[in-house]
Amino acid sequence: MTHPEKLSLHGRRMLDRRRFLGTAGLSISGIALTSLLAADGLLADDQPLTAGGKMPVRPKIDPHRPYAPRPAHFEMPAKQVLVIYCPGAVSHVDTFDYKPELFKQNGKKPPGLPAVTFEGPTGNIAQPFWKFKPRGETGKMVSDLIPHLAEQVDEFCFFHALTTETSAHPQGENFFNTGFTMEGFPSLGAWVTYALGTENQELPSFVAINDPRGLARSGKNNFGNGFLPAAFQGTDFNAKHPPSNLYRPSRVSSKADRGTVDLLQKLNAQHLERFPGDADLAGRIASYELAGKMQTSVPSVMDLSSETAATLKSYGVEGGSQLRGEYAKNCILARKLLEQGVRVVQLFNGSDPSGGNGITNWDSHSNIADTHAMQAEIMDQPTAALIADLKQRGMLENTLVVWATEFGRMPFLQANGTGRDHNPGAFTCFLAGAGVKKGFSYGESDNFGFKAAVNPTSVYDFNATLLHLMGLDHERLTFYHNGLERRLTNVHGHVVRDVLA
Amino acid sequence: MRLFFGFTVIWCCFCGLLRAQESVDFQRDIQPILEEHCWHCHGEDEQESGLRLDQRNAMLQGGDYGQPTVVPGKPEKSYLMEVVQHVDPDMAMPPDEDKLSERKIGLLRQWIESGASWPGQMQAVEREKSSHWSFQPVVRPSPPTDFNSSSAIDAFLAKRLREKGLDFSDPVDPRTLLRRVSIVLTGLAPTPQQTTSFLRSFEEDPESAYQKQVDQLLKSRQFGERWAQHWLDVIRWAETNGSESNLYRKNSWIYRDYVIRSFNEDKPYDQFLEEQMAGDTLGVGEATGYLVAGPHVPEATVGQEPTARRQARADRMDEILQTVGASALGLSIGCARCHNHKFDPISIKDYYAMSAVFQDIEFGSRFPEMTVDHPRRVRGQQIDAELKTQRAVLRKTGPWQEEWVGYRELHFPSTTTEAVRVTFQWKGVRVDELEILGPQEWEKNLALKSNGTVAKSAKAHEQPRGDLWKIHDGNYGTEGWAARAPQDGNEKPWVEFTFTEPQDINRIRISSNRQDFMQTDYLQGMNKFNFGPLVVEARDQTGRWRRVFVSGRLAQLDEQHPIRKPALKAVQDSIQQLADEGPKPSFVGKLIQPMRSFVLQRGSPEDPRDEVFASGLTELDGGLGISPQAKGAERRLAFAQWLTQPDHPLTARVAANRLWYHIFGTGIVATTADFGLAGSPPTHPELLDWLASELREPTDPDVDSWSMKHLIRLMVLSQAFRQNNQPREDGLRVDADSRLLWRFPPRRMTAEAIRDAILQGSNSLSLSSGGKSYRIHDVKKRYAQWEVTDNHGPQTWRRMIYQERMRRVDDKMFTAFDFPDCGQVRPQRPISTTPLQALNLLNSDFIMEQSDRLAVRVMDESGDDPEVAIGRCFELLLGRRVEAAELQACLELAESHGMTMVCRALLNSNEFSLLQ
Repeated sequence: MTHPEKLSLHGRRMLDRRRFLGTAGLSISGIALTSLLAADGLLADDQPLTAGGKMPVRPKIDPHRPYAPRPAHFEMPAKQVLVIYCPGAVSHVDTFDYKPELFKQNGKKPPGLPAVTFEGPTGNIAQPFWKFKPRGETGKMVSDLIPHLAEQVDEFCFFHALTTETSAHPQGENFFNTGFTMEGFPSLGAWVTYALGTENQELPSFVAINDPRGLARSGKNNFGNGFLPAAFQGTDFNAKHPPSNLYRPSRVSSKADRGTVDLLQKLNAQHLERFPGDADLAGRIASYELAGKMQTSVPSVMDLSSETAATLKSYGVEGGSQLRGEYAKNCILARKLLEQGVRVVQLFNGSDPSGGNGITNWDSHSNIADTHAMQAEIMDQPTAALIADLKQRGMLENTLVVWATEFGRMPFLQANGTGRDHNPGAFTCFLAGAGVKKGFSYGESDNFGFKAAVNPTSVYDFNATLLHLMGLDHERLTFYHNGLERRLTNVHGHVVRDVLA
Repeated sequence: MRLFFGFTVIWCCFCGLLRAQESVDFQRDIQPILEEHCWHCHGEDEQESGLRLDQRNAMLQGGDYGQPTVVPGKPEKSYLMEVVQHVDPDMAMPPDEDKLSERKIGLLRQWIESGASWPGQMQAVEREKSSHWSFQPVVRPSPPTDFNSSSAIDAFLAKRLREKGLDFSDPVDPRTLLRRVSIVLTGLAPTPQQTTSFLRSFEEDPESAYQKQVDQLLKSRQFGERWAQHWLDVIRWAETNGSESNLYRKNSWIYRDYVIRSFNEDKPYDQFLEEQMAGDTLGVGEATGYLVAGPHVPEATVGQEPTARRQARADRMDEILQTVGASALGLSIGCARCHNHKFDPISIKDYYAMSAVFQDIEFGSRFPEMTVDHPRRVRGQQIDAELKTQRAVLRKTGPWQEEWVGYRELHFPSTTTEAVRVTFQWKGVRVDELEILGPQEWEKNLALKSNGTVAKSAKAHEQPRGDLWKIHDGNYGTEGWAARAPQDGNEKPWVEFTFTEPQDINRIRISSNRQDFMQTDYLQGMNKFNFGPLVVEARDQTGRWRRVFVSGRLAQLDEQHPIRKPALKAVQDSIQQLADEGPKPSFVGKLIQPMRSFVLQRGSPEDPRDEVFASGLTELDGGLGISPQAKGAERRLAFAQWLTQPDHPLTARVAANRLWYHIFGTGIVATTADFGLAGSPPTHPELLDWLASELREPTDPDVDSWSMKHLIRLMVLSQAFRQNNQPREDGLRVDADSRLLWRFPPRRMTAEAIRDAILQGSNSLSLSSGGKSYRIHDVKKRYAQWEVTDNHGPQTWRRMIYQERMRRVDDKMFTAFDFPDCGQVRPQRPISTTPLQALNLLNSDFIMEQSDRLAVRVMDESGDDPEVAIGRCFELLLGRRVEAAELQACLELAESHGMTMVCRALLNSNEFSLLQ
């Protein structure tokens, strides 16, 4: 057993610092204190270590402006991140991970495959339900399920050997988005905005654009603040629904509203005189100003009327299913938010399986040919248009795009079935944009796409890489909670340097 | 007490053996291997994974993963042998191509076999105890005497302040003091009448007025409603599971009421802990809701792979340990799940030994144990008697069936048989459990597989995952028998049970998903039966099948015997009454046969190692004095008693510190649930120990030991609590966070206090206590997210502790105010500021309605005089008089846009939501 008493004097001193700073994360004023000390140079070279042996970099948060932009740990091209999240598990073998062996073994049950997977007994190998063709200059094989995204493969950097720790959706979503299968941990977006703040002080720093059909299986976890201060949670709205309580009630005239806020600020200013310099109170006053600005800036960013017909057409707002139209609008909203400097945009393509409208996410235990086709019709064109649009506007220079899902699907069908079961052993996600190699594939799954074979990449590695691309060291971005310097990557994760441009 | 390693005993047994062999010599054969291959990373300078291989004792002890590296005489138990043979590629040493030669591996094996002799290092080693402050015994210090105060608390605080050249601030004005103490103790601000009357008595005799006020507040029912919330936060109690489908936990609120009651009754803290860990043996079954307070992944939702199921069970056990660690021990014991704790003396073995304490707990429901005089139990017996009377009437007329929520019970004349066959009229059926019961032991399920009963059915009918054994495995839920007979033809699904010997039977209980009835609520389509009419046959001694129950004949019987209809109705009424007024199945933990505990190598349920038995922390002499085979409840009770024994250094300190935190805003130990080395050290160690001692053994012999109210009372009566809150130059310079308490540091109120205050201001707050939570959500489908449907209507106008606590669901109002998502333990709430708070507090239906109601109230109470009304508003919301400038500004707004807007502004003001 390690006895900390045996630590060197230096180690003890660091622990003392840790203890002292341990209290800092508890309130904005605590954070303010830390910033104060940092400003005084008190923390310059004497910070406590994280479990990984590195020094945490604590964001210096100004309580008046908790969302003020803050420097990254190191300079990287990506300043913003867009996560396109497809709940339900997209079949990698039917989309981006071409496995010729599946065509050869179609209908057979080769040895070495399991008898039971998540939903029960397994059936035979099934070839992809769509044809694969070489695409772009790289000649990357992509299926006809997603023809629009396929056109852009030269921009993408694929991870083909991702593995996760669970084959259940909620735990899988938790794990992908928060780094833990269990409940209650901060999401990637919360971590990034906690670290970096945001450029635009009139919009939320982190927006979760949820699917028109509702929240994904893990609900708020996917964009929640966990134990970070509530200030860093994702603000939930989409092209259809504004954030709750954004607008003044219809019965309140704008003058009455103005009058209310004026009175409020008058009362607050007077109250503040009794507590000169109180950061919490000043911060709360500032939050009302930001709320007021959001009342104009959010509707303006949600308003798509100034988009050209060509833009609307390229995103597929019209001419497809109603759900595609709604998702396409969400994609345009995502672009506008990024244009406005919002730090993190998380765009969902799918909800919880009983959310209404029949098929509600990528989960395809039966009849995958139809269910994936329906889901792809919604996702493909708008997503492709969004990425192309970002590129055309030069925004990929400083925006990192992440396309992700919680796990893959099996190369074989479920027993006597027409669908594919969950596959935590191998799945595909891709990155594009700032700081990432183009037209590149990292890692390989085995011949069936059943298990990761070459360069297996854990979700920890993937998240460590995302943070690195944002200029953040995943081992140093920590928050003290209940006895631990918590991290997005727990005590794991290695940056995948092979994918860095 | 010093602990000695057990291995010395083992070692001595091998002494003789070694002399006989003498084949391996440490210095000649072993030391060179260690030197060349191991010591670089596991030697004097560096100890990767906390492992040292340059000392025999350290080697026997092992590294962070908790396995002894070497067990003398037992190479197969020595982790060293496993890693050098590269059994697990992730744990292969030396790594990769540096693998030892077979010869060297052979030498190591031989060396271990012959006792792992290491000249000069064969002495027994005393286990070194931690010198960390919180593991040392609590010694009651004498309060400093040079400060003229009867309050020990003030004496300790003043001493520190003076050391820093500071002193307390002046006393705060009585209005602010009353508001402060009311909110801290009850979560509710005083009403204007209370304020007036307090001020009057304060003028006469400040000391007695304040003491009286404090005692009154401590006695009020609202005290428990405030302080229970604090406890529920720590253990992240909620009324849904979290994880897949996030189902509602039926009647779990009875645990919330238990906590409120306990605080109000000032239940001694030691008893409070004992009941929560072992209430099933103490007549307070609902108290074990504590153990299952955290989120969980139900087995039915992790899929069919056995590995996933084992992982989910291990995760559930971890949730229990997190609860116990954070709330009672004040240690992050979860850190020792995969390896020895990095900072604190908690080994991985300790972790799994503590998990053995709780191995008979599963996340689920049961009928909570109650004392014989519990009103529900008494009422249940009355209704049961009525039920028996009506059944006696029916029994004379032939078979009948009863519709219980979640299952159907078929009654037929008692018959002796060794086999029962049930044939269904529907082609497709689903049955999670079928129980056969008899008149002798009324509740004994004779169909249980574990009692030797054999079930048989048509294999061809069986549906995927609908295995037959599930019909009599004793488990309710989505896992059941599913069968389908061919659509054409006369075949029907059937099931046959054969007992080990003839049995008297008279009833069958059958259901499709009885777990829903037991465990959940507010779910669309729950408690439906996926089986229709059926025929029950019993085989007589001659081998002939005789029909004992036929659903299709019941109507005919009802016609034949007119007494049946009223009797059946009375039966159904009694069943309903029993559900409403009798004992209820409640989500406070399901008791199961204890599972065995093993040290799970690196936390993996797929790699169980040594078996361990229930125990507390080794560092704190955690032996429980029970046999390894002790029953679950016995283990839990012994563990609770270990926690509360007089010399436990943590329990009282952690409890006292938590009370302090809720009163002053920061704990003496700021990290209230981490008293370990990574936690924060106490600002006032002596004060903390004095408080811990006072909690356990109060100075006043008339005060009960472990009285939390006593400690709280001392704290709020202190000068420190009663002082002013204004910032002071000298204080800010030395102690910006006011941790030394040179002033009472103001802080934003919690979500609950804000909501309650709004409702109280508008005279809408119902102070009804306990019972079902008020609902703000929909009735949902099994796989869907909860939707907030009404978070503002009159049925929600209760104290917020009674709001349905849904894990990770945004209530669209107070989640923005750091109301926890109940995913992780929340020993302290962060206090953050976000524009979403502003939007919710300005624009929500809740605020608009309450502003209206408040406006109507103040106008009513002021004879429609706006000036008086505004004054009244300030009294109601801020507990003070309005100032002239404020009045002017408010009047202007009221005149141009109405009183509602004034109320809306005031509800948003900093002063309103600040505890100052």
